[in-house]
Amino acid sequence: MSRIVLARLGVLTGLLGAWEIWAARGNPLLYVPPSRVVPALGRVLRLEAYPTLLSHLGVTAFEIVTAYLLAVALGLALGFALGLPRHVGEIYEPLLAALYAIPSVVWYPSLMLFFGLGSASKIAFGVLLGFFPVVLAVLAGIRAVDPHILTVARALGAGPRTCFVKVVLPAITATLVAGLRAGLALSVVGVLVGEILGARRGLGYLINDAYGRFRTADYAALALLALAVVLIVDAAAAWTESRARRWTEGAAG
Amino acid sequence: MTPARRRLIQVLSIAALLAAWEVAARAGWVDPLFVPAPSAVARAVGSIGREAVGLIGETLAKTLVAYVLAVALGVGAGLAIGGVRYLHDVLNPFVVALYALPKILVLPWILLAFGLAATPAVVYGVLQGFFPICLLVAGGVRDIDRTPLRVARSMGATSGQLYRKVILPAVLPAVLAGMRLGIIYCLLGVLVVEMFGGIRGMGFLLVTFANAFRAPELFAATALVSLLSIGVVLGLERLNRRLGHWR
Repeated sequence: MSRIVLARLGVLTGLLGAWEIWAARGNPLLYVPPSRVVPALGRVLRLEAYPTLLSHLGVTAFEIVTAYLLAVALGLALGFALGLPRHVGEIYEPLLAALYAIPSVVWYPSLMLFFGLGSASKIAFGVLLGFFPVVLAVLAGIRAVDPHILTVARALGAGPRTCFVKVVLPAITATLVAGLRAGLALSVVGVLVGEILGARRGLGYLINDAYGRFRTADYAALALLALAVVLIVDAAAAWTESRARRWTEGAAG
Repeated sequence: MTPARRRLIQVLSIAALLAAWEVAARAGWVDPLFVPAPSAVARAVGSIGREAVGLIGETLAKTLVAYVLAVALGVGAGLAIGGVRYLHDVLNPFVVALYALPKILVLPWILLAFGLAATPAVVYGVLQGFFPICLLVAGGVRDIDRTPLRVARSMGATSGQLYRKVILPAVLPAVLAGMRLGIIYCLLGVLVVEMFGGIRGMGFLLVTFANAFRAPELFAATALVSLLSIGVVLGLERLNRRLGHWR
């Protein structure tokens, strides 16, 4: 086990070292070695490079949270509307799957046209990306509910409401929570993609601005900051997922 | 419900949606500046057709190059990581992490480093396509049932026979699943670069129409790219089924 961790560290160190050596020989405007990224990251974090960093981060956070909440609400509503009645999902799920086969970014110019270059178009794109995994998870979860248990519950006198709360909901929770986590990751990506493709505020805008002015070290530092945001969000989602899983396993057992 | 009946309801639903949209646009319930009627979009398909066909060709050419590279690298790496336990233990966390991280963050740098022609689109397309392919293939290889392998070996199969008759058929579904998912990611990567870098192709055309508020043309171009993408994925699925029979 520890040998494997050591090997992983070795791979990481090797990659960083190779980059350091490679970057030292290249054009400094293009190739930023790790030794220059670390000080740049320090300046960014101390708000020296971008004094307004926090307000831009706030804009991005607002867009992500709004997009995700809307994506979850829409995804749950559509998922249950398609999944609970018999046959409806059978008919419309293939259409949904066909939409999923379209590279999402195709929709972004239309969203730009509808919502302009402000936060609304980023939120809309975050909703669009985050909503699919939620719908698909609800549909997959409902399909996996054991029909025998439902029959038994009904035979014992459970109404549709009791069936939903006591049978369907616990059975789909694990799938649903995985879908909610994937949706969150995609909402974050959607907002970042939208901001980088064109915005006036937000973390993506700063990244674009740094790149446009050839402040490559700052660009790398901001990109690392964005990665940190993504990792923290995902770690929080993973923690929630494991809690939910334990809850359903407890309920089942 | 029979498949034919299901298909009929699907087609009717789409037709009803288009009809309702047409009525809404003609009656002025939606602003035609933003939501043009389907008939106006259909006319726009005719007017942009010639230009779009050329640009679709350019976008597809870049996607194809990126796809071939992503499949070659992704399947190779996936077979290695899925097949060799040590490699899996050491490298898999990196692949999972890189798969999950938003690649868009390196896009500005790729444009800076690779210029403004077809190269950055191909590089970014490979970057998008590589990780999902690699992960799917590696996962598929790891999940292979090892019993037939042991049985065939104990019955005296040569390594060539083992490879052709046991390993290849067992690995194929994972490879094909990776290939199906990979094409969407490669196309996405190429389109993003065209949009962001203003590089000739359908991505740039979409952004141009959006910035010029030419909604009918924008919708027409969006529909063309969407249909193209669905067509490619369905084609790959059909190929999958063919190969499934062969197995």
